[in-house]
Amino acid sequence: MPRGMFKSRTLRRVFRRLPSGKSELRYEQRNPSVAHCARCGAQLHGMPRIRATKLASVPKSQKRPERPYGGVLCSRCQRDMIKEEAREE
Amino acid sequence: MIFEIGTVCIKLAGRDAGKRCVIVDVLDSSFVIIDGQTRRRKCNVLHLEPTSQKLEISKGAEFAAVKSAFEKIGVEVTETKSKKVTDKPTKAHKQHEKKAKK
Repeated sequence: MPRGMFKSRTLRRVFRRLPSGKSELRYEQRNPSVAHCARCGAQLHGMPRIRATKLASVPKSQKRPERPYGGVLCSRCQRDMIKEEAREE
Repeated sequence: MIFEIGTVCIKLAGRDAGKRCVIVDVLDSSFVIIDGQTRRRKCNVLHLEPTSQKLEISKGAEFAAVKSAFEKIGVEVTETKSKKVTDKPTKAHKQHEKKAKK
């Protein structure tokens, strides 16, 4: 029987192949959920779903789109916002 | 036509989004060449938001002319230069530096 804390599905179960050929059950923290646009709620592209510790080893340019509001707004909302700003002038 | 040579636009898409540019050349009904705060490049007019401002520049004007025209209406423009490619220090080079320090 697994330990009490491992009986809940808070941690995800991963089978790892060992050098001896046997497989072992390990418990890992789950990946974060998909990033969403702050304005319309659409799913954002180009945002890696990996844990913060692994994210540190990823280059900054691979963590979010390179445009303004990248990683916060979807491209459509970002265009609309800049258009509105331009028309207010 | 809205997109004429000299029309000041704001770029909507890509890494230059939100920056001001001016149309330097019109290629066809959908493509123009822009310069200014953005990089000098070909651009689809769908990716541009035209403003009411106009600059007095000639067709195919060089960056210096665009810059001085922008300064007249009070928009700061800095030249976007590509980075100089430098050779990465090799292992032998690093070891040589270590020895020199000792």
